[in-house]
Amino acid sequence: MLNNSFFYLFTLSLFKNAKRYIAITLLSAVVIFLLSSVLYISGSIKYSFQKQLSLEPDFTVQKRVGTRLVPLNDSIADKIVDIYGVSEVTKRVYGSYFFDKEHNAQIVGIDLLDEQASKALHNILRKEEIKPFLSSESMIVGESVYNYLKSHFYPKAYNFFTPDGKLKKVKIFKVLDSRSALFSANLIIMPQELAKEIVGLKESQITDIALNVPNVDERSNIRSKLESLFFSARVYGKKQMQEAYENLYNYKGGLFLVLYLVVVATLALILYLRYTLANSLEKKEVAIFRALGWSIKDVITLKSLESISIVALSFVLGTLLGYIYVFMLGAPLLKNIFLGRAYEASITLIPHIDWLTLTTIFILYATTFLSAVLIPVWRVAVTDPKEALG
Amino acid sequence: MVVVENLNKTYAVGSKQERILDSITLHIQKGELVLLRGVSGSGKTTLLSILAGLEKPSSGKVLIDSEPISKLPDIHLSHFRAKKIGMVFQHFNLIENLTLLDNVLVPLVANRIGVKEAKEMAFAALKRARIEHKKDAHPNRLSGGEKQRGAIARAIVAKPSLLLCDEPTANLDSKNSQSFIEQLMQMHKEGQTIVVATHDPIFKTLECEHRIIDIKNGKIV
Repeated sequence: MLNNSFFYLFTLSLFKNAKRYIAITLLSAVVIFLLSSVLYISGSIKYSFQKQLSLEPDFTVQKRVGTRLVPLNDSIADKIVDIYGVSEVTKRVYGSYFFDKEHNAQIVGIDLLDEQASKALHNILRKEEIKPFLSSESMIVGESVYNYLKSHFYPKAYNFFTPDGKLKKVKIFKVLDSRSALFSANLIIMPQELAKEIVGLKESQITDIALNVPNVDERSNIRSKLESLFFSARVYGKKQMQEAYENLYNYKGGLFLVLYLVVVATLALILYLRYTLANSLEKKEVAIFRALGWSIKDVITLKSLESISIVALSFVLGTLLGYIYVFMLGAPLLKNIFLGRAYEASITLIPHIDWLTLTTIFILYATTFLSAVLIPVWRVAVTDPKEALG
Repeated sequence: MVVVENLNKTYAVGSKQERILDSITLHIQKGELVLLRGVSGSGKTTLLSILAGLEKPSSGKVLIDSEPISKLPDIHLSHFRAKKIGMVFQHFNLIENLTLLDNVLVPLVANRIGVKEAKEMAFAALKRARIEHKKDAHPNRLSGGEKQRGAIARAIVAKPSLLLCDEPTANLDSKNSQSFIEQLMQMHKEGQTIVVATHDPIFKTLECEHRIIDIKNGKIV
């Protein structure tokens, strides 16, 4: 049956019925657009997070008093270094600085004598930039922070309030590229001593200690040792961080998936009703084809090709529009739902596509669409042509 | 050519079985023109549909060109219908969004004929039905008589062994009905086997050799 006259009639039917199909194609494309946008955003966030997570230490040791976290004495780091199997122990200083009620940034103090921190700094700054950065009281800021400061007339420096109420002027040394990572947009990097002053730590205090355990089998054992190191030690693992992230973002993705399923089901219902309507054009057309010598297989092949064309066109259109909306236009509105409304809104989402999920969506969509169209067509096709003609 | 033996057709109406055709037996020779006459509901359209393979009989035998069509599986029956049967429907049944030429082309697609040859054959059929000047028109732009000619062109395009016409003049005025009868006579002259189901008295004017079979309450009388 699949000869050139069949394809002639197929293309003819497709174009002659274009008016009928445009509405379905556009409606389907909108559904795909919405879902693919959500997928692109969640995929991009996941990708950024995984990139960030790969840089995170295996364990972070913090001190908890009652229900709150308090600074640690940096001498604990020396005890950790002595534990067999532990490597890359880093004393970290960081904290949230609130510019106003709604806007805050994460201050990270870098110890330039620390090997890991120094390596990270070399990734951000060129070699010739390091010396000037160290010699002045300056900071490297994420793009979101910079945008906020600039909009509040601090394009070159900012006066931080220290915990004792004094002002501390810090120059902006460099702005991090927004594409570098999702998590850098909200970041302020400065020398550790300067950070301690702003965060409110004494010279011997640090926020936490990061460390790595290269041997995976040793991790649970070392975790126990870290927990018994001092009273009220809190040991935070990379896995916990991943779980915390997943709890935060996965439910939003799930919510959208449920909404998508509802919309797809509605679309399927509309299509089903449309194709099962008594005396509909499709029904009559199928019956005429059958009466003129087309087999059930021929009719199903023709209608399948028509439906596959609509599915393919709407899917390509929807995913392409989704890509443009998310990665070129920055997903206005939708991004805020995922990331919140503060600095995060100005974060550039790094183009990253989860092909497996996209394929799953395609299969789910195509199956639903084809079933909604082909089941009624098949029902008409298997009926005696005379009965179907009415 | 056509052999029908002890053909019965019943439909389920609620819990009852209604008999539409009752022990029909008839033989039609090649090149014969047969008129199936009877009032509405007499069973002539059902008989025609069974001959066309559009529905299955409840019992009995139907042979066309020695092929037991009521026993053929769908794929073979469809192929048989495409090749051997031409049908002119009472309501024409043209596909609205295709031009007349493309409508005539539809049975040729089922016959696996290439597009170029199919277009040539479709045009030739339109010419035979004297409607080639409307080849690019859509059915909603055609008069009843023009649609009828288009339907005839579609029915004869694949050069079928058997041409079946169901109430072909029911939706035509007297001028177009007369014109259809002339076409019918011409096709009969060319050797086409034709069966017409009708209750239109205009067929009394048929000026060629033909056989009349009267059907009443599903029986040949």
